[in-house]
Amino acid sequence: MIPDLSLFFGLLGEILGYWWIIIPGTILGIVVGAIPGFSAANTIIILLPITLAMEPATGMIFMVALYTSSRLGAGIPAILVNIPGTAGAAATPLDGYPMAKAGRGQQALAISFVSSVSAGLITTIAAIILIPWLSQVAFHLHSVEMIVIMLFGISLIATISAEDKIKGLIAGLFGLMIGYIGADVVYEAPRGTFGFLELYDKVPLIPALVGLFAISEAFVVIERSTILSKQGEIDRQHSGWGPTFEGIRATFVHWKEVIWTSLLGLVIGVIPGAGAAIASFVAYQQSRLMSKTPELYGTGHIPGLIAPESANNGVTSGTLIPLLIIGVPGGATAAIMAVVLEYHGVNFGPDLFETQPLIAYGSFTAMLVTYVLLGLMILPLTRYFSHVMVVPTVYMVPVLIAFTLVGSFVPRAYVFDMGIAIIFGIIGYIARRTGYHVAAILIGVILGPLLENYFLRALRISQGDLSTLFSSNIGNTLWVLLVLSLIIPGLKRYRGKARAGKAK
Amino acid sequence: MQPDPEQKPRNILPDCIIPALALIFILYYLTTITEVPWISQASAIVVSGLLLLSILAFIIRSAWRIRQHQETLRIEGTLRVLLGEGPLVAKRIALLILAIAYVWFIDGLGFTLTTFLFVFSGIILLSSRDNWKNALKVSLSCTIIGYFVFIYLFKTRFPEGLIEHWLKGVL
Repeated sequence: MIPDLSLFFGLLGEILGYWWIIIPGTILGIVVGAIPGFSAANTIIILLPITLAMEPATGMIFMVALYTSSRLGAGIPAILVNIPGTAGAAATPLDGYPMAKAGRGQQALAISFVSSVSAGLITTIAAIILIPWLSQVAFHLHSVEMIVIMLFGISLIATISAEDKIKGLIAGLFGLMIGYIGADVVYEAPRGTFGFLELYDKVPLIPALVGLFAISEAFVVIERSTILSKQGEIDRQHSGWGPTFEGIRATFVHWKEVIWTSLLGLVIGVIPGAGAAIASFVAYQQSRLMSKTPELYGTGHIPGLIAPESANNGVTSGTLIPLLIIGVPGGATAAIMAVVLEYHGVNFGPDLFETQPLIAYGSFTAMLVTYVLLGLMILPLTRYFSHVMVVPTVYMVPVLIAFTLVGSFVPRAYVFDMGIAIIFGIIGYIARRTGYHVAAILIGVILGPLLENYFLRALRISQGDLSTLFSSNIGNTLWVLLVLSLIIPGLKRYRGKARAGKAK
Repeated sequence: MQPDPEQKPRNILPDCIIPALALIFILYYLTTITEVPWISQASAIVVSGLLLLSILAFIIRSAWRIRQHQETLRIEGTLRVLLGEGPLVAKRIALLILAIAYVWFIDGLGFTLTTFLFVFSGIILLSSRDNWKNALKVSLSCTIIGYFVFIYLFKTRFPEGLIEHWLKGVL
């Protein structure tokens, strides 16, 4: 199934002929990715009448371009105004926003774009080469293994709440409890819904994200004239194209970080139902764990921005693999792609790579072309995007609140969801003012329901036997790695203190 | 750790709001799962147990620090921590009321009219009445752009009202 070079270059030439659909798809993707509520999946649904009318290959290339660029677009508001465009970018503001506040928004955007594009290119090429092996990953990772992978992401709660562990745990566990609102996946029993039917399907993620990040931040920043800190305002006055080039350089200095976090994203992307949010949280946590300067994470540290951005773009190519090989979509957008292709009578499976290479390999080639195009199009815009930071808050705050609230209406068309966004906004605001990390709450809200789903499935399959959690070799290996990742930082700190004591 | 006699003890009453909310939510949540099968209860019980332990740890730590005069528990000053000082207090409360009103009225009045009114009044609230010309420019332009991009071009499901229905007939 590995394509020879002549086939690849032939396809590349053919895909470049679709520039007329790739360019609008890319621009649209950046826009919808940057607005909370307007995910690639929603946009493809809205545009279904158009994509269904296209030839299957044309439709697929358009959807791939839109999907790919939306992932990159989601990082822009996450860095500039602390609002992740999608849940996949929820770990981006942890270091991206402090950089922006310090007047390094342009540099942060350049880092985000270069790491996203590099990660996208690396993982797409890796996906093309490794398709036969990567397609097996999903067969080996069942509920038990997924529970441990979720716990890797959840352990980030402890990592980001380094300043005050107890408050961090309270915030994260409170988020997990909120994530458990709704009917359970096995018995459909409603729990903690306050009697609202709208909550039976769990707490909607976009309103939670909008409330915890956008609304709460809006209420905090009104005490300043702009989002920038005082030092940030001084530093920003000296900006030209320098910060963009500095960002590009800084990303390539951390090339190892880009490669391994993007490959981590690729592997997580292959697992159906996992997705970019888990990948970016796990990548951030692991990056911090392996860092020699973990204390700098959360303060505007470059690897802390590279890790989630590389991982969530690595997921993009990964989600296509199970779709094309076994017909199981790796995420919501891939599921809609499946609907479009099935409508055209496309049969998924290994044969697809022989019978319709333009769709099978062409999807990955279109992704490569989109990433190259993105790199060329978006890097020059870093300087102009970063002007958002100097818009006076008296104008920015009302516009931000209005549009993000409406953004939380879009996915389900419930005004109720706008109310949820306000409630999360109040919780997020209180959390910010009193030293609780809103990202810890959000991690719980995002990963809580996923963790519970896998946990319930595992128990259901094993007929309630808890020892099933330790019944697989891969699972047990992951358990050991999880325990090590939790112990090592403590050991490092202990050794550091011991060394400092000896030196004294 | 010896407390600094020069330093005023920090008021931790505002810090207790999130644990209090969490505690109330746990108690409510647990009452809703008494009838469901144990498999559906399991993970929530484990997490709520851990959350209760964390809250207990927070209480014990706070009590110890209060004894050490590092922290204090006072109603006085709590609002200042939460809402800020001076005109900021009124601005924050008014902005929250505006946001709630926005959500309340958007279903009936639609995106265009409600967004225009919210953005205009929001800008006036955060700046001053003298800024009405800029407020009008910004609110009108973002409402018009919002309508054309999201409702007219992308056919996005935004709340619709009188203006949207009228524009549908006109455009």
